[in-house]
Amino acid sequence: MAVMDATNRLRTWSQIMRDWPRGTGLPGTTKPDLRAAIDATDDWIEANQGSFNAALPLPFRTAATAPQKTFLFCYVAMRRAGLLKAQED
Amino acid sequence: MATVTQQLDPGSGQFLATAFPALVRGGTNFPVLGLAYDAAANEAAFWLIRAVNYGTGNVTVHVDWYADTATTGDVVWQAQLAAITPDTDTQDVETKALATLNTVTDTHLGTVGQRLHRAIITVTNLDALAVNDDLWIRIARDAANVADTMAGDAVLALATVSYSDV
Repeated sequence: MAVMDATNRLRTWSQIMRDWPRGTGLPGTTKPDLRAAIDATDDWIEANQGSFNAALPLPFRTAATAPQKTFLFCYVAMRRAGLLKAQED
Repeated sequence: MATVTQQLDPGSGQFLATAFPALVRGGTNFPVLGLAYDAAANEAAFWLIRAVNYGTGNVTVHVDWYADTATTGDVVWQAQLAAITPDTDTQDVETKALATLNTVTDTHLGTVGQRLHRAIITVTNLDALAVNDDLWIRIARDAANVADTMAGDAVLALATVSYSDV
């Protein structure tokens, strides 16, 4: 996957402000600051997606699609940050 | 002369078919009803009042608002009027245009995200407002303005319109 184009970055920025969890609250930054963070995150994913993929064990690495690996990454990251509640909790 | 103040309840706001704020309700110990204005798309709400005993001078619009999730940044609020004198003006009410808008930029004061702020807009474009006119008021957030830097929704909890009487 390539980095997002300007439209997709803009739409990510727009939607993340609508979906931002009230419980965590936004950091003390402005809209331009948030947009810069989105751009940087997209760039980081582009630069590091190869190493993430290489870290995945077989057979998952070869069996899973890019969206499936992205879903996995997001769930692990959200749980680590306390943003994912499981039924067992 | 005295000052006449009329309240614009968020629950009584009206909207066009698109670009309108969502009606939200929060509050732990009492309900806090509000209109949540988006941070990325311009949205507007409208109210109709009668300008009872309007005398002369500018109209002042107070917008009491709080941030949904942010703790810093600026919000650009707009207010705009359209006035019709019943039985006198021949203007089609459904095609009536609004007067030029007035704006104010209000800064989040920090410390607590959902603290209440009051933005004060002096409306100088009065659309030839006269006593007892029917008065439409448009209140919007100019989210596309570069001066609007606050991330997340700005929630209008209450607005008022005030003016000097006859």
